Amino acid sequence: MTLFSDTRYLFVRALKKLVRNPILIFFSLFQPIIFLVLFTQLFRRFNELPGFPPGISYLQYAAAGILLQNAFSSALQAGTSIVDDINYGFLQKMLVTQVARPAILLGRLSSDAFRVTVQSVIILVLAYLLGFRVNTGLPGILLMLFIIAFFGLAWSGISLALGMRTRSAETVFGIGGFLTFPLLFMSTALVPVSFMPSWMQDVSKFNPISYAVNAVRDLSLAGFYSTNAVLESIGVIALIAVITMSATLYMFRKVVS
Amino acid sequence: MTEVINVKDLTLTYADGTKAVQGISFSVNEGEFFGFLGPNGAGKSTTIKILTTLLHKTSGTASVVGLDIERQAPLIRKLIGVQSQDTSVDPELTGRENMLLEGHLQQMHGKELEERVDSLLNVVGLKEAADKRAGRYSGGMKKRLDLASVLVHKPKIMFLDEPTTGLDPQTRATVWDYLEQLNKSEGITIFLTTQYLEEADRLCQRLCIVDQGKIVAQGTPAELKSEIGADAITITMKDGQGKSDDSLKAKGRQLLQSLPNIMNVVDSGNGLTIYAKDGGYFVPDLVRAFDKSDIKLVSINLSTPSLDDVFLKHTGKRIRVEELQKQTSSMFSRGRGSR
Ligand SMILES: Nc1ncnc2c1ncn2[C@@H]1O[C@H](COP(=O)(O)OP(=O)(O)OP(=O)(O)O)[C@@H](O)[C@H]1O
Ligand SMILES: [Mg+2]
Repeated sequence: MTLFSDTRYLFVRALKKLVRNPILIFFSLFQPIIFLVLFTQLFRRFNELPGFPPGISYLQYAAAGILLQNAFSSALQAGTSIVDDINYGFLQKMLVTQVARPAILLGRLSSDAFRVTVQSVIILVLAYLLGFRVNTGLPGILLMLFIIAFFGLAWSGISLALGMRTRSAETVFGIGGFLTFPLLFMSTALVPVSFMPSWMQDVSKFNPISYAVNAVRDLSLAGFYSTNAVLESIGVIALIAVITMSATLYMFRKVVS
Repeated sequence: MTEVINVKDLTLTYADGTKAVQGISFSVNEGEFFGFLGPNGAGKSTTIKILTTLLHKTSGTASVVGLDIERQAPLIRKLIGVQSQDTSVDPELTGRENMLLEGHLQQMHGKELEERVDSLLNVVGLKEAADKRAGRYSGGMKKRLDLASVLVHKPKIMFLDEPTTGLDPQTRATVWDYLEQLNKSEGITIFLTTQYLEEADRLCQRLCIVDQGKIVAQGTPAELKSEIGADAITITMKDGQGKSDDSLKAKGRQLLQSLPNIMNVVDSGNGLTIYAKDGGYFVPDLVRAFDKSDIKLVSINLSTPSLDDVFLKHTGKRIRVEELQKQTSSMFSRGRGSR
């Protein structure tokens, strides 16, 4: 079976490309870092408002949201690299080799998940320096990273499918940028649900970002078992993943056939 | 001789209804240097994509090394090397990394692969630039890297879609020499499309000429040229005011009608090409006829038929240098056609 080794080669290729284009990582990290450093300072007295969880700083609250914002916006860019491969003929070049077809997709997805994880670690370290703490320690952090990466993976499916459908990096970038902020603001990423007008509370209830954020936040503020947030989020993300990966597989089959 | 490519009544219609290939049949023998020539849009690249398992045929049959292109595609991929018309290298990987990746995906590993890569980089003259990112290569260097990477796994058959377009004359000559050597000494079958008809004439043992998705002629270069059965006399003209345009060409054609032995007259861009038996005897008649008219002859060029003339005869077109330049400046691929 060459699937595993082929995936590994393509994973390494993707990472090399990323490392040699540090500007891409910089762009994705820029926003979360601004949020972490400026936004949480600007709104630092949020925690004085009634309805805010007592006894914690705004940074401690918002870090989970910032982590998932980063995962979300990075994931929505995932499709641009496959667009490049299609448009520069590199995909075609791979397809005339014996490469195991699924490896092309798996190499892509695994490198995207890896990228989100690395970016999350950078944000976590920076947040730690600013005073953010995780109650559940290292196991909690690992579980957080898993949820974040899984979340990113689930959404990168949308981007990949879109990239293969439109073959336009601009479209992928555009739709990514278009979705990020509305979904972020209409979730519990940055404020407690009770702060929102009631219609937004309804939206937030159906917003997958809220579920992932709640799980990550619970891991940092409370403990593993304090709520069902962790299991709930994994369920919701799995559901999204099934949908987006089906779309991706469908498009990939069409492109590769 | 064993047939390594066999194509029967092959057709391909793209999703938008373009009938790119309309029922072609031909075969290529083992060890042959085979040319597949035709004007822009004739369906050459499409045919290559079908034979290299990238596109699904609409109808007909085709086999490569005795393997069916639909049912045995994975086995075919092991044995072929494909250089597509649109150069594709990964710009963020170095030349060497590009080749190693290609080798890995072709199931080659370790020392064997490294040595193979080194020697190929040497052959295509990229030894010094091997560890530089391919994105910083010149167009010709990319093309050579692409060619080298296609050779990594020692394919039995190479499909080369315009391998020398965009190269400078010197490099072009080197690449042709190398391909000739591959073919002669290693017995690799080469299926080639090119716009360089002189090279095709020299290297190809057999040729197909395609136009609008159909094969319009096939045979050895000598056979095809002798079919013309006449010499080619290309003239350019001008009138009293020094102008030369289409109406002048029409007048010229009229004038030529009075002359014997002419087999055909075709437009050759900036003049006319006349096919006539015994060209040497024909030229004096031609000059006399024009002397009596108000059209001046600017140049006369007499030649035995070349592949150019064969091409012109069957397709009504000449391959022009402008076309070549246009091609090299648009190296982006259109991507894969959908089914
Ligand atoms: N993906 C596609 N979808 C629709 N039509 C296509 C597609 N690719 C090529 N064609 C059309 O099919 C015809 C044959 O194209 P092809 O690329 O095979 O020509 P070619 O002989 O390689 O030409 P050139 O010398 O310019 O490379 C052209 O009319 C072209 O416009
Ligand atoms: Mg072509």
